[in-house]
Amino acid sequence: MIGVYREFEGCMRLAGYVLSRLPVLARPPVAEALTRQIYFTGASATVGMVLRGAFIGTLIIAYVIDVLEANAALAVKILIWVVLREIGPLIAAVLVIQRSGTAVVTELALMQISGEVTSLRQMRIDPRDYLVVPRVVAFALSTAALTFYVQVIAVGGGMLLSSLTIDASLGELTGEFFALASPVDLVYAVIKSFFFGAAIALVCCYHGLHPPGTSINAVPKAAINAVTQSTLLVMLLNVVFAYLVFGQAFFGLVTAKL
Amino acid sequence: MKVEPAARGEADPRSRASAQGVALGYEPPADLGESRVWISIGGSHRAAGLSDSQRKKLVSAVLEVRPESNTRLVLLGVEVDGLRSEGRASLRDRVAFLPVDGGLLSNLNAWENIVLPLGFHHPERLGEVAAAVNSLLRGLGADPHVLLEKLPERMSLYEKKLTGYVRIVLERPELLLAEETQRGLDSAERAAASRFPAAYLENCPGGTFVHLEVALER
Repeated sequence: MIGVYREFEGCMRLAGYVLSRLPVLARPPVAEALTRQIYFTGASATVGMVLRGAFIGTLIIAYVIDVLEANAALAVKILIWVVLREIGPLIAAVLVIQRSGTAVVTELALMQISGEVTSLRQMRIDPRDYLVVPRVVAFALSTAALTFYVQVIAVGGGMLLSSLTIDASLGELTGEFFALASPVDLVYAVIKSFFFGAAIALVCCYHGLHPPGTSINAVPKAAINAVTQSTLLVMLLNVVFAYLVFGQAFFGLVTAKL
Repeated sequence: MKVEPAARGEADPRSRASAQGVALGYEPPADLGESRVWISIGGSHRAAGLSDSQRKKLVSAVLEVRPESNTRLVLLGVEVDGLRSEGRASLRDRVAFLPVDGGLLSNLNAWENIVLPLGFHHPERLGEVAAAVNSLLRGLGADPHVLLEKLPERMSLYEKKLTGYVRIVLERPELLLAEETQRGLDSAERAAASRFPAAYLENCPGGTFVHLEVALER
């Protein structure tokens, strides 16, 4: 329990440090590291993300139509609630954890064990400036962008499938969507994703820079800790956001009135 | 065990030796039985016969500008004990260390490794370094077009040392500690590495180059 508290405290301290050192992004090597990380986390993940988004959107809408015998309005409403607000950001976060989070924690743990982090200190470069700050910013921006892609693709794919399977045209569904959807839904999801990305990066960087040992065996342990804790943190943040913004969490099981 | 150019054996040298004109002074407590290092400013020097643990302690003390307790450290004529954090940071900026393997980052190629600290600390100088890098590499027996594209995993040990060395020289430190510059090299590479001090002093006039050599343990 003390260990978990220390790790949480360490991540919080790291978050404070990142916030206080954002101007370091203007320095050429850090800016280059930021660009490289955005490419790996955001741009190169787009195709996989688009496919997942399309699958999820069509799957949800197919279930809704089949189980609930839904009409156009209900199908679109469920798309907005489930995909736009919840599934989109969560899918993006899970993809970022499994793809980039594991890569970052492994890379940093290997750098720590092989002495490359010490080399940075010998160059009078704080490893947090060069390794953590650009990764946190890149993860935050990339996760927000990926969430937006998922939303567009999943909602678009879902409505396309709905138009083929229920008695409603694509135009009718689109009209329902714009009537029911609020800009708050989109902004809420993107902002939430931004924090998801930052939280994932902080946890992964913390565990990468603090592997539980100095042998190569510490690398998979650090990766397991990072993946487990960042997933939990994303879930926790999701609940907190839902409660704060909509006054309810877990699809209404916990409400602000309680 | 010997340490050049300083001699050891004085009972309490700290009461006599002045810090003035000293590039690197390192005096551990007498009861530890460790060597004393006392090197004057300017030129190339050799600190030989240090044990591995003492070498680590010395390097750590210099790079952190903070010696272990009861150990005296003088850097570039300044008595480190009693310095405030700003003074330590300012002193640290004037000192560099070249580890035996060059201390490179494995995911950056030679060029990116070379310009990393310069881009971080002096981005305004980035535009003028390409010619200096090419000239230094050619002078030390490497083809810049081949070396600069290489990742560390594709480099020989000499190329790693050379890349780390060029990276440091560009920053023009006043004191350069170089660890075992000849170790692990073949004869041609050793000859090339033996030109490191001269090339450093040419680029950093008035600087001090110190070879750290570890005693072979039997």
